[in-house]
Amino acid sequence: MNSSERNNANPSSELEDNLEILRQTYFFSGLPLETLKVFAYLCTREKFKKDEYIFKQHEEDGRAFYIISGSAILERQDNDTSKKIRDCAEGEFLGGLTLLGEVRRLFSLKAAKDTICLVLEREKFTKAIEQFPNIMPLIFKAVAQNIDFWEERFLAGRADMCGECMVNLGVSLI
Amino acid sequence: MKKADIPVVKRSLFSWVFAGNVKLQLSLLVVIAIMVFARVVPLEMQKRIVNEAINLRNIDLLIRYCGIYLASVVFFSALKYVTNIIQTIIAQRATGNMRKELYHHILTLPLGFFRNTQPGSVVNSLVGELSMPGNFIGMAVSAPVTNVLTLLAFAVYLFWLNPLLAAVSLSIYPIVAFLVPMLQKKVNRANKKRVDAARTLSSRIAESITGIHEIHGNGAYRIENKKYDRLVSRLEKIRVVWSLYRFAVKTSNGFFVSLGPFIVFILGGYLTIKGQLELGALVAFLSAQERLYDPWKELIEFYQVYQDGSVTYKRTMEFFDVEPDHAIEPYDRAPYDLEPSLEVKDMSFVTDSGIRLLDGINLSLNPGELLALVGFSGSGKSTLALCIGQLYKYTGGHVLIGDKEVSDLTKKDMVQNMGFVAQRPFIFEGTIEDNLLYSCQARADGTDPETDGLPSLDDIIAVLHQTGIFVDVLRFGLNTKLVHEKHKELVDVIIRVRENFQRDFGEELSDYVEFFDENQYLFYSSVSENLIFGTPNQNDFVDTNLCNNQYFLNFLKQADLTRPLVSLGSELARQTVDILGNLPPDAVFFQQSPIGPEELDEFKLLVERLKRQKLHELSANNHKKLLELGMRFVPGSHKMVALPAILENLILEGRAMFRQKISNDSPEAITFYDLSQYIYSQTILNNIFFGKTTTVSPQAQEKINQSIIQLLIEEDLLETIIEIGMHYDVGTKGDRLSGGQQQKLAIARIFLKQPKLLIMDEATSALDNNSQTRIQNLLETRWREKSTVISVAHRLDTIKNYDRVAVMKAGKILEIGTYDELIARKGMLYELVGKK
Repeated sequence: MNSSERNNANPSSELEDNLEILRQTYFFSGLPLETLKVFAYLCTREKFKKDEYIFKQHEEDGRAFYIISGSAILERQDNDTSKKIRDCAEGEFLGGLTLLGEVRRLFSLKAAKDTICLVLEREKFTKAIEQFPNIMPLIFKAVAQNIDFWEERFLAGRADMCGECMVNLGVSLI
Repeated sequence: MKKADIPVVKRSLFSWVFAGNVKLQLSLLVVIAIMVFARVVPLEMQKRIVNEAINLRNIDLLIRYCGIYLASVVFFSALKYVTNIIQTIIAQRATGNMRKELYHHILTLPLGFFRNTQPGSVVNSLVGELSMPGNFIGMAVSAPVTNVLTLLAFAVYLFWLNPLLAAVSLSIYPIVAFLVPMLQKKVNRANKKRVDAARTLSSRIAESITGIHEIHGNGAYRIENKKYDRLVSRLEKIRVVWSLYRFAVKTSNGFFVSLGPFIVFILGGYLTIKGQLELGALVAFLSAQERLYDPWKELIEFYQVYQDGSVTYKRTMEFFDVEPDHAIEPYDRAPYDLEPSLEVKDMSFVTDSGIRLLDGINLSLNPGELLALVGFSGSGKSTLALCIGQLYKYTGGHVLIGDKEVSDLTKKDMVQNMGFVAQRPFIFEGTIEDNLLYSCQARADGTDPETDGLPSLDDIIAVLHQTGIFVDVLRFGLNTKLVHEKHKELVDVIIRVRENFQRDFGEELSDYVEFFDENQYLFYSSVSENLIFGTPNQNDFVDTNLCNNQYFLNFLKQADLTRPLVSLGSELARQTVDILGNLPPDAVFFQQSPIGPEELDEFKLLVERLKRQKLHELSANNHKKLLELGMRFVPGSHKMVALPAILENLILEGRAMFRQKISNDSPEAITFYDLSQYIYSQTILNNIFFGKTTTVSPQAQEKINQSIIQLLIEEDLLETIIEIGMHYDVGTKGDRLSGGQQQKLAIARIFLKQPKLLIMDEATSALDNNSQTRIQNLLETRWREKSTVISVAHRLDTIKNYDRVAVMKAGKILEIGTYDELIARKGMLYELVGKK
């Protein structure tokens, strides 16, 4: 942060910006504004230099990320070889499920260039949820719909390219 | 060790009356006896004043009798005060003893009891409900004895004066004694109806407020009003009836008591006219009649206190009347020193509601072996560990540790031999050190800590390393501010570390540190730090005193900073109250807040006021509060408000102005930030950096930690900082620690205890990979053969080297053997690790 970043007469606060981001994220968008403000307040921003890992495969970091600026590469390592899965661009939200329970990363996310992420830790998320137990069904609903939507989109566009993997389709049936 | 007496929950309310209070109660009786005498004396004096002094027109007698009257009244008042003091001491002592003994009992109750009991109801029982029985205990002897004795003394005196008049005038009391309880019953019935009606009304209100959107959506105001109004009218009627009965009790009591003087006048007057009663005796009679009312009223009140106290006491004690599953200590022997072999035979565990959580469990372990319990959630692996550790009482079969049946062992036997790390360990309020020594101190409880051997600092540091909490404790130490007098010799070393840091890591870590640069705004420092830019040497320039320092306030005015900072404070208050206003005082919520949890209520009121008043209309005190808040603003942490560029520039200019001004006026007041000087107002870490960290990212922290550790080792400072870090206050329920730190601390406190039987219930689930691996290695090397380890495993890659693996499903062990055996068998474990 330096003075050139904040030369507006009435700059918006980081909290307002965070709130705007959360309102556009499927995981949080259905929540009441009062609770959303608390989550926006609990989020922090982290800078990752090019090639730095945002999270690593096998780690249980318990954090969800939203890429505010920059970009990242999603990778998976199998038998000592690292394979790029895809690019993750600005505006992408990753790790909603890590907020709900302890899960180890199946992928690594590496900054492709200097990247700034909005980060929410599960511990903070859980403490906040304890104060607003009524919103949990809304989050479960959003997650369930998103999984369903993801598979539906996959089936519509890419299912025929699956080949042998076809038998493993059906993540929305879990 | 003595065998316990009657459990507290079985004790009667009356058992507390003399317990530990015999001397006090006896002295109370003596005081009361004198007091009753002092109460009757004025009556006799009244009679003599009228009959002798006035009748004989003798001034000397008048003065003498009035003197005795006055002395006895003063004496009575003094004794009454002494009685109240003794009564209060007895009441408070009894309440305290009840609270202590009940709490001691509650802590021993089985875990199952607490699953169905809210902490709030335990708090309420201990804090609120026991004060009423305590009040009764305070009055239990004094009130009935005083009032009955007074009544008797008055009655005897009246009979002595005139038996006929006494008998007639006292005859109204049996009628009152019969009538009042009868009416009281009706009051109680009406009261019950009132409580029920009020409850119905409350739920009606709650329902309509919860469904307010539906009421608005349908415009159903009239329907809801009708429902509500009906209930209010009903409550209104019930309350009228209730009040009528209450007043009836009061009025009839008053009426009958007032009848006394009437009878005295009519019968006493007649007897006096007839010469059968002296005028003085009639006056004394009238006076005694009036005074009868007080002891009578106090007796009725005492009856009420007894009723309330005994009902509350009974309800409280009945609620906690549960037997502990196991005795706490052996009373006729020393705690066992058990061989850590384990034999579980056909063990089962059935809950109170009849659900069979464990069934037919059989397993055996030799001393020093490692057992892993695995299976899906709900398979019973944690329950089995808890049964072995005596935290649950198994309902069938046998669990033998070193040939002793676990259900027959006392808690002391278990803690002497076993260490248990829970899935969600609990960290208590206090320092890191307090929590580290918790298990060792609990085991040493009752024995001499010198001979029992609490761990040395070297042992503690070794365990901090083993569990991976070393770096965290180091960080707590580094985040401490040193005190001038206490740490003088440390300061020079830290300045040296600072120089080495700048030389070796300054550039590498510059992305994560905001250095103290005179020409730059410090976004991770407060406004006051930005303005002062140095260490205050005078108390009135310390952060918290700045807004009371007229010199500084004048400077703010000159620098045109007062109004913008008050305005900044008001915006911070508004935003913070908006976000945190209804949240509990948990450290997680207040980490990034300029307002502390203890100040929140005060600022809530201030924000309410700001809705109605402009800033310049606020009182001087509120103005000051907002200025103070504005001065605390740290843009890098307090994200609810942005720092406008114009204010940033004003503050930077203000810094230069302040430096110039104070250097002229009072050059000794501030030591400005200088690379060669230690800054006492900053933490050790900030001193090493000569700046502040700007990130909490784990990667950055890791880099910073590595460099700092290296520097501290070079200067042989590591242990000193760790010692300082061990005094870090972990907050309520350890809320100033992360989940991982809490888990590491819980493992460390058990490792320090070095138990012969170690039970770990998913004890490393919140730890990072490195810490998990480190602890796993320790179990497989250092602990192997020294202790028997039972580990409920949440990760199957950690169990390969265990001596035995038991795979559980639906409360049964499906297979047990070494990892390789089970994988080769291609059974359940094979399936679980995903080979299938």
